[in-house]
Amino acid sequence: MELEIRGLKVKLGSVEVLKGMAFSLGRGEILGILGPNGSGKSTLLRAIYGVLRPLDGIILIDGQDIRNLSLKEIARMIGYLPQESFESGLLVEDIVMLGRTPHLGGLSPDSKDFDAVERALSSIGMLNYRKRKFSELSGGEKQKTLLARVFAQESSILLLDEPTSHLDISSQLEIMELIKEKVSRGSSAIIAIHDINLASAYCDRLLLVRDGIIFSAGTPDEVITPENIRKVFGAEVEVKRIGGKLYVIPAFRRTSGKNRRVHVICGGGSGSDLIRRLWESGYRVSAGVLNVLDSDWMTITDLKGEVVSENPFSEIGEESHRKNLELIEKADIVVLTSLSVGKGNLKNLEAALHAARLGKLYVIEEKEFEKRNFAGEDADRIYSEIKAAVPDSRVFSTTLSINLLNNTDCKRSTQY
Amino acid sequence: MFNGFGVGMGDDRTLRIPVIIILLLAANLIALLAGVGIGSSGVGISDLIAGKPEAYKIIISYRLPRTLTSMLVGAGLAVAGCSLQALFRNPLADPYILGISGGASVGAALVILVGIASTVNIVFSAFLLSLITAWVVYRIGRAENGLPVYTLLLAGVAMAAFLSGVTSLLIYLSARDMYQVVFWIMGGFWTASWLKVQVVFIPIALSSVYLLFSSWNLNAILLGEEHALSVGVDVERFKKRVITASALLTSASVSVSGVIGFVGLITPHVMRLIVGENHRNLLPSSMLAGSAFMPFVDLISRTITEGEVPVGIITALLGAPFFLYLLRRSKLGA
Repeated sequence: MELEIRGLKVKLGSVEVLKGMAFSLGRGEILGILGPNGSGKSTLLRAIYGVLRPLDGIILIDGQDIRNLSLKEIARMIGYLPQESFESGLLVEDIVMLGRTPHLGGLSPDSKDFDAVERALSSIGMLNYRKRKFSELSGGEKQKTLLARVFAQESSILLLDEPTSHLDISSQLEIMELIKEKVSRGSSAIIAIHDINLASAYCDRLLLVRDGIIFSAGTPDEVITPENIRKVFGAEVEVKRIGGKLYVIPAFRRTSGKNRRVHVICGGGSGSDLIRRLWESGYRVSAGVLNVLDSDWMTITDLKGEVVSENPFSEIGEESHRKNLELIEKADIVVLTSLSVGKGNLKNLEAALHAARLGKLYVIEEKEFEKRNFAGEDADRIYSEIKAAVPDSRVFSTTLSINLLNNTDCKRSTQY
Repeated sequence: MFNGFGVGMGDDRTLRIPVIIILLLAANLIALLAGVGIGSSGVGISDLIAGKPEAYKIIISYRLPRTLTSMLVGAGLAVAGCSLQALFRNPLADPYILGISGGASVGAALVILVGIASTVNIVFSAFLLSLITAWVVYRIGRAENGLPVYTLLLAGVAMAAFLSGVTSLLIYLSARDMYQVVFWIMGGFWTASWLKVQVVFIPIALSSVYLLFSSWNLNAILLGEEHALSVGVDVERFKKRVITASALLTSASVSVSGVIGFVGLITPHVMRLIVGENHRNLLPSSMLAGSAFMPFVDLISRTITEGEVPVGIITALLGAPFFLYLLRRSKLGA
């Protein structure tokens, strides 16, 4: 069954909640409606179901104007699940049986109705719950029961208003999987949904709604962008792609340390934690010199920070060393992590000494230097020179305790 | 096969419903026989079978219509109470929630005050005024886009308070016939006649049948109006019809028997504990429980003293403590 909406305008009281919406829903499709509270998601669903009289516009189911259909006829084609919550002493099977209301010919349900209830209960895996009281179920079980009620209605279009709200994460996923499975067997669904990540994982197409208009429409790739989310929700986010799906994560305090450059001299994983934390705090982080595929290299590359790279398992060359010194010159702060030093990366210590003489260096000493020195006396000598040039207040025993407070360039305290 | 917790319980339950209905039917039969056979005159059914003309007069002309009226009123109040509790989704709703008792009292008191207090006049005046009251409450409670149940509830409460004031005023003015009005307000079946049976039978039967056929939609309404809409119930139209049918039931009952409290409130509660909340079971069993219970109360009212204690007093004395007991029990159970 196909649904088409053209020029839909709806007024509630004196407020125009929907200001002209047009879209369609094809067979086997899950369409997610995203938008902040009050953007008109629920109103849109109620208007499609036909319980709100639109000010203007037309809603067609398989080419039939919804205004020419009775509520009962609409309920046979559209399974609408409102968000309204309730308590009831009715049994699970009583509630699922209510889904048969639009099909009821006489007073009592017949074998066809009982079969439909049986199928719906088994599709949500709750056959054993049929004689349980609704009021005694958990939140997830209640929502599944209501979903079974809609399934028992055997309508080919589902309109679901926030079906996963107020549920724990496993119930959310279960509900979305059940919907997906139902749609794969020849239905289609429109889901008003809050959770952008669930929407992107389960919906084929998305409508991003703001103030009663469609702000953006298309595949999750097209709709879920940091810019769209900022404009519609007013939130700063990062959009990540994991396993072909998009995930939105809040951009934590990315504003606080704007444009302040921190260069991290690290290696072997000694700097990953620091790099990530600095990045989250909004610093422009660079690192070097690191061998390609070193775990610190992976971290800084992942965060798209500047990095001076050397081939895997190779000694730091003159060219790399020079680039590293350039980054140190440009940086406001340089941090030497508790890295292990060997012949290969001895030049990093020299670079750190350079930074110390520029008065930019902070040192993390999680382990005594002797225990991580594999480069002999040369390294010991350089390290003691570094220590001599760096005040004790800038030497920290753990990554967690580091405080970039005393830097002369740093006017404000920037503890993260 | 492994049966989940629910399945075994369900088997008991599905067996239980027909058994309960049969028990209730039997109780109705006993109530009818007791109502007809027992009385202060000492005349029994054996006298009727023996063909005594005295027995015929007492039993067929008086006790039978009286018992039938009490059964009809009991059934009507229970069905109205049960339906309104579902519609309002409020366990405290009772048949008088729309201010109907107040309207009926004013109607009866008016007729008595004016001095035209024949049975027919009281019945019709009470019936008419209670219907008008329900209509006014409905109009006041109605909003632009539907019928919000809470406005309706508050309108009913306010209207009842107002009409109770009017009734008191009328009682005050009609000092001479005061006892008549007061006795009427307390409720009872002592003026029963075949005429009254005829008057109440049609509205009670029609409305009850309509509501029994609506039990499915009442279940849907229990989930909330939006959910009822979502299964194709035209909620606004349905609410109007349930209110109309309940108003008819209550008005008809109150016009022949005065204000009998607690039966419409408690009967559905008790039956809900026994058969559950599904109105396809709850409505018929509440109806049968109401019609079985009322003749017994009437029997108590006309045999407990030499004269007659108004039924409304007995239902209040029995009903209120019982209701508090249920309340306490359900609170502890939860």
